[in-house]
Amino acid sequence: MTFLAPAFLWGAAVVAAGIVALHFIVTRQPRASILPTARFVPDSAATAIVRDARPSDLLLMLLRILVILATGAALAKPVIKPGRRADGRVFLMDASRSVASVAEATDSVKKLFRAGDAIIVFDSAARSLGVAGPDSLAGIRRADARGNLSAALIASLREGSIARDRADSLELVIVSPFADEEHDAATDSVRKLWPGRARLVRVAARTDSGLVGGGAIEIRSSPDDPLAVTTSLASKQQPRATALIVRTGMISPDDSVWASTDSHVLIVWPIDGRPMFAVPRNPADQSGGIVSADAQLISAFNRQWTFPSDSLRGGRIVARWADGEASAIEKIIGQGCVRSVAVPVAAVGDLVIRPEFVALVREIVAPCGEARSDKPLAPTSIASLGGRGPLASADAFAARQDIASPLAPWLFGIALAAALAELFVRQIYPSSASRDSIAMSATSGASS
Amino acid sequence: MAADSGDSYDEYAALLDAVRGIRWPARSAVRGGIPGAHTSRLRGISAEFTEYRPYRQGDDPRRIDWKLFARSDRAYIRLSNDRAILPTMIVLDASASMAFPVATNAKWKLAAQLGVGLGSVARNSGDPVGLVIAREEEPVLLAPRMRRSVTHEIIRAVSATAPSGRAPLSPSVSIAAQSGGRLVIVSDFLGDAADLLATASRWVVAGREVHAIHVVAHEELNPSRESAMVADPESEQIRRPMIGEARDRYVEAFARWRDELAHDWSDAGVAYTMAVTGEESPDHLIRRIAAIRTGAAIA
Repeated sequence: MTFLAPAFLWGAAVVAAGIVALHFIVTRQPRASILPTARFVPDSAATAIVRDARPSDLLLMLLRILVILATGAALAKPVIKPGRRADGRVFLMDASRSVASVAEATDSVKKLFRAGDAIIVFDSAARSLGVAGPDSLAGIRRADARGNLSAALIASLREGSIARDRADSLELVIVSPFADEEHDAATDSVRKLWPGRARLVRVAARTDSGLVGGGAIEIRSSPDDPLAVTTSLASKQQPRATALIVRTGMISPDDSVWASTDSHVLIVWPIDGRPMFAVPRNPADQSGGIVSADAQLISAFNRQWTFPSDSLRGGRIVARWADGEASAIEKIIGQGCVRSVAVPVAAVGDLVIRPEFVALVREIVAPCGEARSDKPLAPTSIASLGGRGPLASADAFAARQDIASPLAPWLFGIALAAALAELFVRQIYPSSASRDSIAMSATSGASS
Repeated sequence: MAADSGDSYDEYAALLDAVRGIRWPARSAVRGGIPGAHTSRLRGISAEFTEYRPYRQGDDPRRIDWKLFARSDRAYIRLSNDRAILPTMIVLDASASMAFPVATNAKWKLAAQLGVGLGSVARNSGDPVGLVIAREEEPVLLAPRMRRSVTHEIIRAVSATAPSGRAPLSPSVSIAAQSGGRLVIVSDFLGDAADLLATASRWVVAGREVHAIHVVAHEELNPSRESAMVADPESEQIRRPMIGEARDRYVEAFARWRDELAHDWSDAGVAYTMAVTGEESPDHLIRRIAAIRTGAAIA
């Protein structure tokens, strides 16, 4: 057994020693006695610091020491050290949308897994399964989110701090198709924080484009709506999803039902009314452009609406104004989604036929969710992920301070019980001063 | 009760045996006509010759020394010192402060032994002996008697008394002084000391022989060094901590008070004696008291 924060234990010992000393040296009213010549004693404060030959309240002292020591031991986090072995592994298993088959990734982990190894499953976020073993991978399903290697590597560092007590050296095993979209600017920097080489296990990448074939763009608008021109231009390239742009009128229940099925995209883009989820901008201003994933449009727009922060909860920003504010947002409904667009479309000028605006419309009518890339990770980045040199030494990882101690709750319970007992005992036994008063009364009574 | 009395006599038997033979002469010539052991102010016809005086008209012719008349042809009267008794009244202080230490009541026991012993010495000298015990209830009063049983009566009285309360001693002294030529006050003088001194002074002026025996417990002179909250048994308001240097200051103050007390009583013509419990046997104390010839204090 060892203590993660032994300073608390030493502190508790010091406090307990102080309590023992205080039980020997107490400030109290001294013992009462009769003295006929008491009038010649100078009058002064009726309390004094006296040193007892032995503690007056042994049970109270023991309970108080128990409270302090149990609390100190609990705060010191006693943990039972597991047996160490030569090397351990930390698995990063990819379960993002880039993986063709999660079962393949699971099998790869099972082949290399040994008891005591740690598993981290990641997609856009990472979650540790600890040392639960491969059996806990049975319930893992492929996520629709983009994989994030940086988040997974950060999680592996945290897991390394936990696993440092179980092995002398640690090997990082990354099971992933290594898609380019999983790699970001921070990935290489985070990878360098793992102080050793990594084993890369490549699994098959998802080959389907994820696009909905045979898409179409439909617009419900007035006959003179200039956006109809843009949609017709955008439809010249095969639309990737079935989209309905509602420019006039209300959204009907049928529209909602339609949007929640078959990956349909319902786009609410009113001509002059309030877009869904938006509130009026006060005062209205202008913005010089719009940015979307693959579209950048520079033009002057009168901004009359704004999406408040709570409207973005559970949604995704599809397009932004030049200053970063959302100009179009998306919310998932069932299997489809609904998008609200707050971009005014000018009836004059050539905006609606400009290729940048057409590209913007194509982004707005794109399939629900974030666009996925099948591009594989560059070989240099893969080499960087693999790293060089020996396995990471366990001592290179910082010792964790947030390890839960299984004994701590019990120790806290003992301390609490002792504290309650101390209150009870203090109620039962009268204080020293009270006893003195009683003795005083008794002697007075005897003398009379 | 009889058994208790028997036990009490046994308790005082050694003391009574030890004080046998002690003479307690008066400090000065006593007045009074009843023949006794003390020198009287009167000149009489006792066998103890003192001097001759020429016969004067009115003298009893029977007191003329006829042999001297035959030799000198002058009439002389043979004079001798008269002896008289000295009624002795013993006043015992039975206030609560005399019941100290609480476990042994040593102060009261010493006071009782002094009372019994001095009474016995006076009785053995042929003096009438009486007793007043000043206590919370009605004082115990034994009128001065010369009979042999008076010592037993004193023993019974002190044995039946347990010190308590805070009765003033001065009234009891006044009562005793009315019937006694010699007054013995046995007390710790922690009560009405000023009134008592004034009363005693008046009776000294009136010709009484007054003895003040100051009973002090050894524990009062040398209290324990252990810290304690000490309380006056006769006053609930006095409750003070005896801690650290307070003890030294107490010892100094108590000694100063004793010195002042001895000085004041001696100045008043009272024979002052301090009796400390456990330091001197009662019979030795009684010998010291009986040996006092002047008004000087004996500590």
